[in-house]
Amino acid sequence: MKNQFLKSFLFILALSFLFSACMEDSEKDDSTDSNLDRQVLLTNWADSFIIPGYERFDQKFQQLKIETGDFQQDPTAQNLQDLRDALKASYTSWQEIEMFEVGPAEQVTLRNFFNIYPADIEGISANISEESPILNLPSSYSRQGFPALDYLVNGVGAEDEDILGFYQDDLKGEQRLDYLMTLVGRMNELLSQVISTWKSGYREEFISKTGLDIGSSMGGMVNAFTLYYERHVRTGKIGIPSGATIATGGNVNPEKLESFYYPSISRELAITANQASMDFFLGKSSTGTGASFKSYLDGIGAKDPSSGTLLSSDIQSQFELVQSKLKSLDPNLLDQINSDNSSMIDVHTEMQKLVRLLKVDMSSAMSITITYTDNDGD
Amino acid sequence: MMVTNLKGSIFHYLSQTSSAASLVVFRMMFGLLMVLSIARFWAKGWIEELYLNPSYHFTFYGFEWVRPFGSFTYLIFAGAILFGLMITLGLWYRLASVGFFLTFTYIELMDKSTYLNHYYFISLISFLMIFLPANCLYSLDAKNNPNLQVARIPRWTIDCLKLMVLILYFYAGLAKINSDWLLKALPMRIWLPANNHLPWIGSLLNLSWVAFLFSWIGCLYDLSIGFLLWKKDTRGIAYLLVVLFHLMTAVLFPIGMFPYIMIGTGLIFFSGSFHEKIVQKIKTFFGGKARRFDRVFQYPPFAYKMTLTVFTLFFALQLTLPFRYMLHPGELFWTEQGYRFSWRVMLMEKSGEATFLVKDRQGKLLEVNNKDFLTPLQEKMMATQPDMILEYAHILRDHYKDLGWENPEVYADTYVSLNGRRGKALVDPQVNLALEKESFKNKYWIENWDDEIKGF
Repeated sequence: MKNQFLKSFLFILALSFLFSACMEDSEKDDSTDSNLDRQVLLTNWADSFIIPGYERFDQKFQQLKIETGDFQQDPTAQNLQDLRDALKASYTSWQEIEMFEVGPAEQVTLRNFFNIYPADIEGISANISEESPILNLPSSYSRQGFPALDYLVNGVGAEDEDILGFYQDDLKGEQRLDYLMTLVGRMNELLSQVISTWKSGYREEFISKTGLDIGSSMGGMVNAFTLYYERHVRTGKIGIPSGATIATGGNVNPEKLESFYYPSISRELAITANQASMDFFLGKSSTGTGASFKSYLDGIGAKDPSSGTLLSSDIQSQFELVQSKLKSLDPNLLDQINSDNSSMIDVHTEMQKLVRLLKVDMSSAMSITITYTDNDGD
Repeated sequence: MMVTNLKGSIFHYLSQTSSAASLVVFRMMFGLLMVLSIARFWAKGWIEELYLNPSYHFTFYGFEWVRPFGSFTYLIFAGAILFGLMITLGLWYRLASVGFFLTFTYIELMDKSTYLNHYYFISLISFLMIFLPANCLYSLDAKNNPNLQVARIPRWTIDCLKLMVLILYFYAGLAKINSDWLLKALPMRIWLPANNHLPWIGSLLNLSWVAFLFSWIGCLYDLSIGFLLWKKDTRGIAYLLVVLFHLMTAVLFPIGMFPYIMIGTGLIFFSGSFHEKIVQKIKTFFGGKARRFDRVFQYPPFAYKMTLTVFTLFFALQLTLPFRYMLHPGELFWTEQGYRFSWRVMLMEKSGEATFLVKDRQGKLLEVNNKDFLTPLQEKMMATQPDMILEYAHILRDHYKDLGWENPEVYADTYVSLNGRRGKALVDPQVNLALEKESFKNKYWIENWDDEIKGF
C-alpha cells in the first residue's frame, strides 16, 4: 500500500519533470545569465551612466561658474553672451542626469534645488534684497537653480542692454550680481556633495543592494526613472505648458515652460531628456552598450504571452516615436504652443503611453515590490 | 435501501471516536501561533501603518461598518492576543474561541487592501474551533472542572479541521489548473528571477524549465497533499513535503506567517497516539489528573444538532463558494468578480495604474492625486481590482461633495497588466462611477479582456 502511493507520487513527479522539459521554450532567447545578474547591471549604471554623467555635467557646470564669476566682475555684453552660452550648455547637460535621483541625489533632493519651474520672480526679487536669503525651504525651490538663472540671465529685460542695465544699476546692481553668484555657489555645493558621496563609498553600497525589494538599488532606480519620466518629462516639459494634463483644465500655460526666458532651447532640453532616458533604458553610453533595463527585460524573457512581442522592443519603439514627434516640433516650444498646440498634446499622449509601459508593464515584469507587508500575490 | 445504508453509514461515522489528544494539541499550537502572528504584526508597526495612518479604508460589501477606530484599534489586537493565549491555556475556552473568532475576523474585515487568504483560513478555523471540545484535556478549564476531562472525542470533531485543510489545498490546486499556470509557467517565470541573487539556487531561478517545474509541482502538490496527509501510509512523506514546500515558499515569497501556520496545522493529520506522546510532555505542567481515560465526550443534544447543522451548512458553503465566479461573465483574473475567499493564492502577477477625474456641472474639473487619499499599498491594490476602484470613486465623490461640488462625477482612467500581457484599460473611462452601486451583480463597466486564460 505504502509503496503504491509512493510510486504513484514519484510517477507524477517524474511526469511533471518530463512535461516541463517538453515545455521548455524552443523560443528561448539568446539571453545569458549575465543579463540577469543585477550586480552587473547596477555596476554598469554606476560606472557608465551615473558617475560619468555627473562628471560631464560638473565640467559644464564649472564653466558656468567661471562665466558667472566673470560676469559678476564685469557685466559686459560679451560676458553676458558667454554666461548665456555656458548656461545653455549646463542646462542641457543637466537633462542627462536629472533622472538619477537615487542615493545621494535623493538624499539632498537635488532636483528641487536645480530645476523647479516656473521661476518665482517675486521671490527672486525678495531674495536679492536679503543679506543671506534662505534657500533650503520648499518655498525657495523656484527661486534658485536653472529656472532662476534662466530668468536672471535672459528674462530681466527685453534686450541685452536692458539686462545689462539691470546689473549695472548703481543701487541694486551689485546685490543682483551677488545673488547670481550665490545661486551658482549653492548649486555647486550640492553637486559636489552628490558626486563625492558617489565616489566615496556609495557606489559600492549601490551595487551591493541587488534585491528587488524596497531599499534595493534596482527598485529605487525603477521608481526614480519612471517618476522622472512621468512628472518631469511628460507633465513638466509638455503636459502643463500645453494644457494637456487634466489638472490644467485644458488651459495652456506657456509661462510654465522650461527655459521660458530662453525658449529657443526648450525643445532641445526636452529632446535631450527623452534621448537620455532612452539611452539609459537601452544601456547606450559613451563607452558603448552595456547591461540595462532592456537587457534585463530580455533576459527574463519579458514578452506579451499573447502576442509574443518583447516588452523591451515595445518600450524602445515608443521612445523612438516620442523622439521623432519631439523633433517635428518647433525648436521654440513657446512658438509651437501659440501656433499649433495640438502637436504638443499629441506628444503628451505618446509620452503617456510610454509612462504606462514603464510604470506598469516594466515594473510588473521585473516584480518590483512596493511595500513591506505580507502578500499572497493578490 | 440505499438511503438507509447511507443513513446508517453516516450514523456509524458520527459515532466513531478518536483520542482527544489530537484536538488538544491542535488547540495549543493554534493559539500559540496566533499569539505569535499577531504579536509579529504589532511589532512590525503594521497596525499603525495599515489601520491607523490611512485616511480611508476599503470595506467589504455588507461589512461597511467594520472599520478601525483610532488608537482603540490596538485594543482589538490586544483582545485577539489575549483570546489566543486563553485558547492555548484552555481557559474559559468557549468565551476565548468566540472572542478570538470575532476579534480576528473584525481585523480581517477592516480593510480590503490587506486581504490575505491565510487570514480568511484562520477566521474559518477559529469559527470551527468554537464548536469543538478542544478544552477537554490539558486545559485550565479541565483542571478546574474535572468533569470536563474525557479521553475520547467524536472523530468528526477532528476530521472537520482536516477537511478544512484539505479544501484549502485542493481548491488552491484546482485554481492552478489553468493555461497560464501550466502551459506558460506564469506568473512563476516572472517571480522567480526576482530571487536570482540568492546563494546556491539563485541562478537556477532564471531558467524557464525551473519555472515550469515549480508551477507543475506546485499544482500537483496542492491537489494531492491533503489526501496524502489523510492516508496513513503516505502521511510521513506527505508531511515532510509540507515542511519542505512551505519553507521554500517562505524563502522565495513575502508571505509572512502562512508557511509556519500550515506546517503547524498539518500536524492535525497525525494519529491520536502521536499527539498523546506530545501531550505526555506537556502533561506534568497541568498536573496530569486525567487518569480515568475512559470517558467519551458527549455533546448536549441541542448543541449536537446545532453543531452538525452549522457544520453541514459551513462545508456546503466552502465547497461552492469558490465556484461563484461562474455566475459572472468575463475572465475571472481580469474582473476578479468572485476571486476572493476561494483559495486563489499566488496565482497571478497583476499590476496597474488608475487615474481619477472628478468634475461637476459647474465646470470644475481635476485629476486626483491618489497619494492624497491612499497609502501605496491601498493604491496598488485598488488599481487592479474593480470593486476597490468603485469604492474609491465613491470616496472621491463624497469628498468633493463635502467641498461644495455639485453632484461630482468620477471617471477612472485605468491601465492594468496581467501576467505580462501588455496593459489595457480595466474599466470603461466613460462611465461615471459616482452613480454605480456596489452589488453582487455583474459590473458591466469592466472592460473586456482581449485574451483568455483557460481552466479553473
